[in-house]
This record gives sequence, structure tokens and C-alpha cells, in this order.
Amino acid sequence: MSGIVRGDQIREDVVLTPDLCVVGSGPGGAIVASRLADAGAEVVVLEEGGHYTKADFDMQEATAYPHLYQDRGNRATADLSIAVLQGRAVGGGTVVNWTTSFRTPDDVIDSWREKDGATVTPEALRLHFEEVEKRLGIQKVDLDDVNANNRALYDGCKKMGWSVDTTRRNVRECLRTGYCGMGCPVDAKQSAALTYLPHAVSRGATIYANCRARRIEWDGTRAQAVVGEVLHPGTQQQTGRTIRVEPRELVVSCGALNSPALLLRSGLAQGPVGKKTWLHPTIAMVAMYRDAIEGFYGAPQSVASHHFARRAPHAGFFMEASPVHPMLAGIAFPGFGAQLTSQMALLPNVAVSIALMIDGFGEGEEGGTVSLRPDGAPSLDYPLGERHQECFRAAMKALAQAHLANGALRVSSLHLPAVVVRSEKDLGALDAAPLGPNQCGVFTAHQMGGCRMGSDPAKSVVRPDLRHHYIDNLWVVDGSVFPTGLGVNPMESIYAVGSWAAQHVRAALAKA
Amino acid sequence: METRRGFLKKTIGGAALLAAAGAVPLAFRKTRLREPRAPLRFFTPEEYSVFAAVAERVLARGLADMPPELATAAQRRPTPPSAAEVDVAGKADAFLAPLDAASAKELKQLLLLFDNALFSLATGGPPRPFTRMSPEQQDAHLERWATSRLAVRRTGFQALKRLTGAVYYSQPASYASVGYPGPPYELVRTVNAPRSRR
Repeated sequence: MSGIVRGDQIREDVVLTPDLCVVGSGPGGAIVASRLADAGAEVVVLEEGGHYTKADFDMQEATAYPHLYQDRGNRATADLSIAVLQGRAVGGGTVVNWTTSFRTPDDVIDSWREKDGATVTPEALRLHFEEVEKRLGIQKVDLDDVNANNRALYDGCKKMGWSVDTTRRNVRECLRTGYCGMGCPVDAKQSAALTYLPHAVSRGATIYANCRARRIEWDGTRAQAVVGEVLHPGTQQQTGRTIRVEPRELVVSCGALNSPALLLRSGLAQGPVGKKTWLHPTIAMVAMYRDAIEGFYGAPQSVASHHFARRAPHAGFFMEASPVHPMLAGIAFPGFGAQLTSQMALLPNVAVSIALMIDGFGEGEEGGTVSLRPDGAPSLDYPLGERHQECFRAAMKALAQAHLANGALRVSSLHLPAVVVRSEKDLGALDAAPLGPNQCGVFTAHQMGGCRMGSDPAKSVVRPDLRHHYIDNLWVVDGSVFPTGLGVNPMESIYAVGSWAAQHVRAALAKA
Repeated sequence: METRRGFLKKTIGGAALLAAAGAVPLAFRKTRLREPRAPLRFFTPEEYSVFAAVAERVLARGLADMPPELATAAQRRPTPPSAAEVDVAGKADAFLAPLDAASAKELKQLLLLFDNALFSLATGGPPRPFTRMSPEQQDAHLERWATSRLAVRRTGFQALKRLTGAVYYSQPASYASVGYPGPPYELVRTVNAPRSRR
């Protein structure tokens, strides 16, 4: 049988023996499944999330977040200090991604080669990037198509004399409704669920949705099986059915939190599993404008400034926009009572800009750590130290300056209570405001690291070709293999590195 | 909501205070109960009542500190429905029903501690449960949690505030009051109809 099987269609325990099993159907897993199905391999994909189509995407946050995000939209670090936006569906994060598409910067790849013994090169990735860009319709946005929320950041940066540009997006015939983060309602966004996964299915692959991989059974240097539990698509509770896949090669592509968790649940704790997790920790500033911005409509992200990306010796950051829908705003805007509701009442006049800290390049920087909760789910800790605080303060001031230069009435932070900047002379207050856990809103939509690639088994989890250091037929192919943050939105990099790694998996299958 | 892990354990004196709560006269200890609209699936009646009281203050309307240029526009918006009208606590109950056991236990401990009269007294508030305080006292109580020097209390505040904000502002009933016209269904329909016939 080939196609997409839902959890409620599985009425008996399933045992399968394909050539290849891919756990996770985000950009990494989807492109490996597609490439190997093309090569004639029998491919099975396990995906914990559900299978959704545009008819399911009703543009309501109350529907989208519980269905399309990890922990029903409530994923966070253990102390709640960093909210974690991470997709969970057939297609993984690509279903809810805001479409910003960048190639991995060459100097980032070079640093992996120098410091970690990685073998991937910008030259080796070039063809893969080109194919991905063609397949996903990745094209640069016209400035005329930028919504007012993004335009405010663009114009503000220009007025400050800072570099800024429109981004490239993976869309075709985009209507710019503004709902990328809730699943594209018109199939304009070229997610993995519309591209690489259907292609894999057309070449005989089977995708099992609502199937959560629980553990990998292994002996010596071989993974023998991956064992999972079947979930009900509606309740997301276990149905009692199990799925067992005994592949020749096994690819783990569960993302930077769930991949290390699967290895840890399986007793594969050799090396720094779950260590050095990078998040591009993100702060936001809320700018109030006299004229309507209506940041709930229009392509949610279409400009970016990397003007402050290289602030050595300090951590760099880059600036983008965030969509302004009521639920996200109601969670993020600080305080309660009048402080919260008065800002909410002005939602149409608000522009929200974000700054993403480029983590992973500091001397001795440890980043986050993934461990296991009692129920086996991943628990994330990411302490925010002086390095982060310095970066956040610089980033908040930059965003405030850009919006003041662009004529905002005022710009406020997500501190509790908010720091309100009405003119340049108020900027100093951002230096004084505390940045301890839960004293200021911090987010992440980019999760990386935790199964880093490298040549030294003591310092990395997978080899430079993304094969596990100790288990010969086990591979990790997702953002977790990145030794650092990227300094750009990671989706396109995960596709390209996945496409590159698929060659190695293919060679292994041919040999086995 | 996985984040109240070890909440009591980490809260200095939390367990001792709960044990000592027996010393407070019964009338002051008891949560003021509210009637749920539907049978509860996650909360006990006490937990439901505490959360409903929190949601009421988190969503209390105010036009404080608004740029004068925009105050008129904001005031012209329809009056926001109250937390009770939207049934924030009932909707939170349904949302939380499938929560894993460990997280559920922590959230329940948080709600009981939040309403504990002795804990309030020990942290500078009146010796009353949150549900029996005046609105002004409740706001001061929330403020003490929100800005506490103890990170775990700030975490507790954030858990309650974010759950309230998520439930309330994701309801179409709240959209008009924040000036959000809602999703562009017409546009999507007109595009999807010809595309699906193709």
C-alpha cells in the first residue's frame, strides 16, 4: 500500500520491513524520503502530527495552534521563560513556517568545517539549494508587495542608514492573506506536505500520520527497529495500537528538540545528545502608529535586516517582522488588566518587529539542553546569561530607533512593566530594565543543534556525513545537526543539508 | 502547559505554608466558588473558580496610558465581552483536559497556592484567598506574582496570564473589541473555488 495512513485507520498493530524508515516529515525528513523514493527504495515515514490539507486551515488561532504546533502551541522552556513555536504535522514546521527562505551563510558553514570537522561545503550545497529553490518556488519579494507591518521596519532601517532588504519566500500565486503560521488556506505556500512528501508517495512511499516514535531498538552497532505508538487524530491520545518498523537504514528527522529526546529515550546517550541547542532567542518591540498597520493581513515576513549580524565580540542579531494576530498578541503583550487590554485595543495600529540573537558563536557558549520529562517528552532548558542580555538590549534599542525614525508614536518593550520609548532620550530605560526569566517576553521559532555533526565522537552526535557515531545504520537529518545557530531562518538550510545527506543514505542502502 | 514542574518544590516555604494553612479560620481559607456552565473535565470546582477569578482581572478593561492620538479610536470600539461572557475558564477547562499528568498536577498546585490565604499573607498580601479579595486587592496580588523576585512566582503568573490571553483572544467574540475584522474568508473562497475545479 502506498499513500498517507492516518492513526484512526490503523486498527491492528503494524509491523513493517522497508529499506528506509524516516521518523519525522519536516524539511529534513521529507526531502530524504523524496530522494530515496526516487532512487527506488521502499520508504516508510512516521509522523507524530496529523495530516492536514487547506480545507482544515480555517485561519483561526484557536484551531491552528492546538493542531499544528508542538504541545498544542504551549511548548516552552521548563521555566516558561522562552516560548517555543515549533510545528507538528505531516510536513512538520514547513506547514506553519512564515516562508522566509535563506541559504546558509558561507562563513557559518566554514566555521563548522574549521571548529567541528564538518565536511559539508558551500560548493557542495549549491546544487541542492538551487533544486530546493526551484521546487519550492522560492523568489524574492517585490517591495510593493510588502505589508505595512514589514514596510515600517524596512523604512525605519532605511532612515537609520542600516542595510535591509526584502526576503525570498517559498510561495506560488500567494494571496498574501497573512495566515502562513496557521497553515496556508490556498495552497500558495509550498510546504513539504505539498511538494516533497506527495512526490515521495507518488514513488511508492507510505506516510504514517499520528504515529509517535517512542524508541529505537538497537544492538551493538545496528538499529534494529523503531517502535511507535498510534495516536487518534482528533484527541491526539494513544489508541493502543503500535507500529514497529524494521528498516535497513533509519533516519531520525524529528527536529532539534524531539530528535535528541528520541535518542535519549532509546538509551543512545553517547556524546553530547541534547547539548548545545540553539534557538535564535528572539525579543520583540511593539510600535504604535497613528495610521492603521493591520499586521494581521499581508505576507507576515517579507523584509529582513542583517545590519547588526556581525557585532563581534558581541553576539549579532537580525531583525524581521512578526504577524500581529490577536491570540499571539494577547499572549505576548505584557501585564494584565488595563496594561494588557489598552494595548490590545490598539491592535490595528501596532507594528511588531522582532530581533533574533545569533547564538552558538560565543566562546564557551553552551546554549540550551534537552532532557526527558518523566513521560519521555522533551524538556528544554536555555539559561539566558549576560551575553544574551547585552544582545537583547542592543536589539531593543535598534528596533526602537528604527520605528521612531519611521514616525511611530511610541515603541514599547515586552518587559513587565513595559518600557515605553517616545523619543531617543527614553532609550536608556531599556538598559535599566531587568531581563531575568519571565521579566521580559522571549521567543524562539528556530530550533537547532542538540545532535551536532562533527568528527569527534566526544563533541558531536553524528559524523560529518550525518551518520550516527556509534550506530552504523542510523542517521540524523534535521536542524539538530547544526553545530551553531545559522544567523538566518533555518528552513531552507534544513532542506538543502537534507538533500545533501540523502546522497550518503542512498550510498549506504546501495552497499547494504 | 508543561512549566509548573516542581512548582511547589521550588517555592520557598510553599509546602510548609500549605501545611500551616490549618491554622487559619475556615471561612477565610475556602475558595469562593463559581458555578461552571458545563461539567468540568480538568478543573475541580475550586480550581475552576480560582482560574475564573484570575481571568476576570487579567482581562479587566482599561484605557490607561494610551497615545492621545489613538484614544478616541480605541474608545469607539465595541465593549469587550467579559471573561465570564466568553466563558474563559470553561474553555480553558476543555483545552486542558488532555494535559499530561505531571503538568496537570503542577498547574493544579499553582492554582491552589495562588488562592491560599496564608501564602498571600506571607508574601505581603491580605490573609484571604484570592477569590475573596476585592478587585483592587486582586490586582495587587497579581502584581506581586508578576514582579516577584522569585522566578517561580513570575513563572506562575505567566502560566495563568498566557492561558487567559490565549483562550480569550482566540475567540471570535473578542475580535471586534480589538479592531480585528477576522480572517478574509471571502477572498479565500473565491480563489479556492475555481482552483479546485481546475
